[in-house]
Amino acid sequence: MNEQPRVLYWTMLSLIGLVIAVYILFPVFWLFLASFKTQAELAQLPINFWPQTPTLDAYAALFSDTHQKGQLLDWPRLIGNSFFIAVTSTIIVLIFGTFAGYAFARLQFPGRDLILGGLLISRMFQGAALLLPTYRLMSMIGLQDSLIGLVLLYSAFGLPFATWIIASSLREIPRELEESAMMDGASRLQSMVLVVLPLATPALITAAMWHFVGAWSEFAFASILLESNENKTVTIGLASFVELFTLEFQYVGAAATIVALPIMLVFFFGQRYFTRGLLAGAVKG
Amino acid sequence: MRHDRLLAYAMILPVVAAVLAFVVGPTYNVATLSLTKVVMGMERGFGTFDNFRALTADPVFWLVMKNTAIWILGGTVLCVTVGLAVGTFLALDSRLTGWLRALILLPWVIPDVVTAMAWKWMLHGQVGIIGQTLQDTGLTDRPISFLGDPQLVMWTLVVVLIWRKMPLVALILCAAIRSVPDDQLEAARMDGANAWERFRFVTIPNIAFSLTAVTVISMIWITAEFALPWIMTGGGPANASQIMATYIYQQSFEFFNWGVASAMSVINLLMLVSIVALYLYINRRSWASEGSQ
Repeated sequence: MNEQPRVLYWTMLSLIGLVIAVYILFPVFWLFLASFKTQAELAQLPINFWPQTPTLDAYAALFSDTHQKGQLLDWPRLIGNSFFIAVTSTIIVLIFGTFAGYAFARLQFPGRDLILGGLLISRMFQGAALLLPTYRLMSMIGLQDSLIGLVLLYSAFGLPFATWIIASSLREIPRELEESAMMDGASRLQSMVLVVLPLATPALITAAMWHFVGAWSEFAFASILLESNENKTVTIGLASFVELFTLEFQYVGAAATIVALPIMLVFFFGQRYFTRGLLAGAVKG
Repeated sequence: MRHDRLLAYAMILPVVAAVLAFVVGPTYNVATLSLTKVVMGMERGFGTFDNFRALTADPVFWLVMKNTAIWILGGTVLCVTVGLAVGTFLALDSRLTGWLRALILLPWVIPDVVTAMAWKWMLHGQVGIIGQTLQDTGLTDRPISFLGDPQLVMWTLVVVLIWRKMPLVALILCAAIRSVPDDQLEAARMDGANAWERFRFVTIPNIAFSLTAVTVISMIWITAEFALPWIMTGGGPANASQIMATYIYQQSFEFFNWGVASAMSVINLLMLVSIVALYLYINRRSWASEGSQ
């Protein structure tokens, strides 16, 4: 290639790349900027790109107990609830997903492939059609408006994928390692925990991140099940601003930043594991 | 061996039980509820199609079906088309596209409640930056109410849906394009094929399987999406953006019409079953190979 087409190619590439990057980043960044603006500035035309007088008032308001602007929810509490649900269900999913993943990868039993296939397909039905029966089920067993109820529900929703991703990774670990441990007198469980699992750590991290992000972000089931203010989660808190919609987007921006922050941290620090999980998850729905 | 078999069933028991309790059970429950006469939350007699009759008699029903078709079919077609264009670009070798491949998943991981709020803010009728930019550049002379105009609202939602769902489609197609054998592209080049012909006659046939699979998976993802339309419009204005998911939610938890809601849930499930069946049919080779491992 001579010089001129190469420069042209490079310019076009950068230009298209820039357009895509702006398209991807702008919506979230714009809301983030709104969180530092004042109410007057948000209502003003023409629009200022950068905050004229950057302020943290919106964040302070969310964390203060003088509930402003009809804002009734207690954000430290919402954050605590969301962390509790996401962390607890992640632990449950890892423990039971590991056992099941091991069985699917290593043991022979009738119906193995059929059951694994059925579990994966069940993920595709976790949508709006289950809202009403889930509400009825939870009311019946007394776990409606309970954080424990959501932990159980999210664990059930998350287990098939965690099981599958752990099973696929265990299949790639040579059986000989385990067999020699068992020859040396280790039981199957000992060899699984001490020999195999350490090698499957990347898959466990992928499964944990994937589940944490899903549980932290979930909105539909949380919104139908949680009724009392002290049980609500961050996504419900953020959605509740819809009801008081005037131009108070500084609060929306601050709340959205709080909701997105843990996810962004997981995404940027666990990029490698995350992409792996997403691509694997995509292939199997 | 017998011991192994028992151990295996014990190990998978919690997962299977959880899915039976929270997915299979509720699916069965909503199916029976849809065939039960429900009065004021009390069940009065099984074995009737009253709920389905009531549902189809609701004038909103056909509007919901039309909107759902725009949402799922329009969304899928645009998602795959835009995803293919972006994926082709991302497949180019360069440090810039490498960074973009990492960055592009951001819309996919951001909670959809945040996405809904971010776009609601940008699309705001008076002070939204999109409407303002259109006015500043002279493309329109008055404010556009993207979410308040019944003619525009459904397609506006689809545009936001593309932002959220397209990146993963692009990434999957990018991976497929990057695995197209170089020697085939080189041979086509030798035969004098230009860039478009190489794309059309070498790349596309090579990624045909990924393309079909990702199309069907997109339909499943889009069918499952609820928070985005619900928070952005709540189905409004005047049901102009009411889709199956939002209709089910509204009938169940705002109007307490459990009969109608369960009938719509069953229609939604039947639709999902047919998409999943299509998916399994397309994917039959890959499932078979999984079984033989």
